Amino acid sequence: LNGQSTLRIANRIAELQKVVAFVERFGREHGLPGRVVNDLNLCLDEIINNAISYGYDDDARHEIAISLQFDRGAVVAALKDDARPFDPRLREKPHFSGDLESRKIGGLGLHFVNSLMDEIDYTRANGYNYIKLKKRLKRPGGDNIEKVEQ
Amino acid sequence: MIDIAEEQNGDITIIGVTGRVDSNTAKSFEETLRGLFKAGRNRVVVDLKHIVYISSAGCRALLVAGHLAKASEGKLALCNMPSEVRHVFELGGLIELFAIYGSREEGLAQLS
Repeated sequence: LNGQSTLRIANRIAELQKVVAFVERFGREHGLPGRVVNDLNLCLDEIINNAISYGYDDDARHEIAISLQFDRGAVVAALKDDARPFDPRLREKPHFSGDLESRKIGGLGLHFVNSLMDEIDYTRANGYNYIKLKKRLKRPGGDNIEKVEQ
Repeated sequence: MIDIAEEQNGDITIIGVTGRVDSNTAKSFEETLRGLFKAGRNRVVVDLKHIVYISSAGCRALLVAGHLAKASEGKLALCNMPSEVRHVFELGGLIELFAIYGSREEGLAQLS
């Protein structure tokens, strides 16, 4: 596909810094706002960290592929890995209330992914997870660039 | 990578963090904070001024520190929160869980 960049990393936490550099370079090349680059990094960090930390039953080297594409005012990140099946879509919004004592430590990351991305697709096929994240750029007024241009 | 600087002001420890606090780096941040409380140094100001990015793993480290402060009847204060961090904290409903001050001096004054 035109304008698509792909990075392949091994399932090691230290490899996450390659993802950061990859997303930042992509952001510069396409003139994306810093906030969008950070939001993308936040979500990719979460999903990839989850796969690396909890997704594999062995210590072998596994490949995780990350593709980025900028099309019609939206950034699409596509991930492919052979970790355990993992659907990042949340069915319910978490309920935040109470004070620090009653607040659980975990569960924040997926909430961030589901709040920050405009669309999340998930498919499991042939032993692979395929996760697609879509983030639309907003005009200063708040409209989606994609919608305005249609 | 992150840099973690430690400073002592009376019985208050000030932790200054510089860089990206993500899955790759949050572990050392969390270990530093856990180490303080374990050593009984439970009055802590975390200066966020030079954090350029924080992920859920970074938020988790601060939540852990908050729990440890409560459990040990200590105090945890955050200060100099950059807008990138505030954005993530607001999203996670974390703002109201912490004592957040505009400056290091203000944080120190509140804990003294």
